[in-house]
Amino acid sequence: MKLGALVTLKDVSKSYQSITGDRIQAVKNISFQLDEGEVVALVGPSGCGKSTILRMIAGLEKPDSGAVEEVRSERFLIGYIFQDSSLMRWRTVYNNVKVPLEILGINKPERVQKMIDMVGLSGFEKQYPNELSGGMQRRVSIARALVHEPTVLLMDEPFTGVDEITKELLQTDLLYIIGGLGVTGVLVTHDVEEAVYLADRVLVMSAHPGTIIEEVRVPLPKTREPVMRTQEPFNLCCKEIRDKLHLLTPRRPETR
Amino acid sequence: MRKNVWAFAKKEWPVAASLAIVLVVWQFISQTGIVRSFLLPAPTQIISAFQHSRVDWLSNTLVTLNEILVGFAVAVVIGISLAILISLSPLARKMVMPYIVVSQVLPTVAIAPIIYIILGFDNTSRVVLVLLISFFPIVLGTVTGLTDVDQNLIYLLKSLGAGKVKIFYKVRLPNSLPHMFVGLRIGITGATIGAVIAEFVSSNSGLGFLITTSLTNFDTTLSYVAIVILTFLGLVLYGAVELTGRLLMPWLRSR
Repeated sequence: MKLGALVTLKDVSKSYQSITGDRIQAVKNISFQLDEGEVVALVGPSGCGKSTILRMIAGLEKPDSGAVEEVRSERFLIGYIFQDSSLMRWRTVYNNVKVPLEILGINKPERVQKMIDMVGLSGFEKQYPNELSGGMQRRVSIARALVHEPTVLLMDEPFTGVDEITKELLQTDLLYIIGGLGVTGVLVTHDVEEAVYLADRVLVMSAHPGTIIEEVRVPLPKTREPVMRTQEPFNLCCKEIRDKLHLLTPRRPETR
Repeated sequence: MRKNVWAFAKKEWPVAASLAIVLVVWQFISQTGIVRSFLLPAPTQIISAFQHSRVDWLSNTLVTLNEILVGFAVAVVIGISLAILISLSPLARKMVMPYIVVSQVLPTVAIAPIIYIILGFDNTSRVVLVLLISFFPIVLGTVTGLTDVDQNLIYLLKSLGAGKVKIFYKVRLPNSLPHMFVGLRIGITGATIGAVIAEFVSSNSGLGFLITTSLTNFDTTLSYVAIVILTFLGLVLYGAVELTGRLLMPWLRSR
C-alpha cells in the first residue's frame, strides 16, 4: 500500500504581519511526512497555525523558510474540505460537486453522480444549498472535495459547528469513504476524538508559535467501526493526546 | 387554477382591503370638503379627468418611460463597469470613488440647470440626469457583491489552479448578483425621480412636464392624473427589475 511520501514538510516556518504591524509567528520548524494512503491529523489549540499548514500544502501560501515538497507526479491534485462547507449558494448540489472537474477541465460527469451517491445525497441533485440542512451541506462539500480524485485531501475542521449526533454520523461516513477510496489526507481539528477516530497518526501541536510537540500513532486497525470509539485503546489514545495538550493538568483559578 | 386564485386571494386580501380603505377615506375627505377638492381631488374626479381631458396620456407616458429606460440602461452599464474596475484595483478605487461620492452628495436638482446648459436642452440632458441619480446604488451594490466573497471559495479554486479571470466569473460575478440587484432596485426608483426632476427643469412633454404645466394652469386634477400614472409606471418598472432578479437567481426563491 505505502508507496512513499506524497508530501514532505521540511523545517517549515511562516509568520504574518498583523494589523498593528507586528510579525506574528504562525508556525515554526514544522517537519512531517505524509505517506500515500495514510491520514495524518494535526491537533492543537486555535492559533497554532494548523490551517496555515494546509494552505501551504495546497500551494496557496509559501513558507518563509523550509520547504514543502510534493511528489512530482503528472497531476498533484488537492481536495479541500472547509470549516463551513463553503458551497456556491447559486449552484445546485450537482453543480457544486462538479466545480473541481469544471476548473480542471475534466469531462467525466459520471464521477459527479458517483460521489453524490457515495455521500448519500441521491435525489437531492437539483436542490440548492440553502434548502439543505447543515449536515447535508457538509456532505456536498465532501463529495466536491473528492470528485476529481485528489492526490491529497485537506480537511480543515470539517465538522465544526455540526451538532454532536450528526457529527458522529458524518465522521463515520467520511471514514468509510476515505477508506473505500484509499484517500491520503491531512485532517486539521481541535477535536481529539475526531482526530483519533479518523487518523492513523496524530501530530499534537502547541500554539504561539505553532510547533509539533508530539507524534501519537493511533493503535487502531485501518478499518474502523463506530463501536471502537467506546473501547479502551481509543480512550487511552485520546487520554494520551489530552495529556500532551496539558488538558489533564489541574488548573485552579487564583482566588486571592 | 381556480384553487390558485383562491389561495392568492386568501393570502393577499389585506393588500386589496387596505387599498380599498384608503380610496374610500380619500373619496370621503374630498367629497365632504374636509379638504377642498381643488387641493385633493377625489379618486372618481381623477379617473374622469383621465378619461375626458384632451391630454395624450400615452405619448407623454412613453416620453418619460423612454427617458427612464435609456438613462437606467446607461446607468447599469456604467455602474457595473465602474464596480468591476473598483473591485479589481485598489488604486482605481482610491482614484474614482471620491468622484462617484461627490456626484451623489451634489443635489441633482441643483446641477440640473447646469447640465442642460452644458449638454443642451434636449433628451441627452434628461438621460444624463436619470443616469446620475440611478448609477450610484448599482455601483455600491455590485462592488459589495464582487468583493464580499467567501475566502474559502477563492482558496478552493486557486488550489485547483484557477486564475483571477476564472475566479472572477465562477465566484465573484455570481456572488455579486443579489447585491447588484439591491442596487438595481434602488436605482430604478431613482431613475423615475431623475426623469421627473429633469422634466421639471426643462421639457415640452412627459409626465413631469404635465405636472408642472397643469399646476401653472391651476388644474390640480390633471397633475394628479399624471402622478397616478407615474406611480403605476414606477411600480411596473420596479416589478420588472424584481422579476428579472428572481429569474436570474433561482436559488433565492427556495427559502
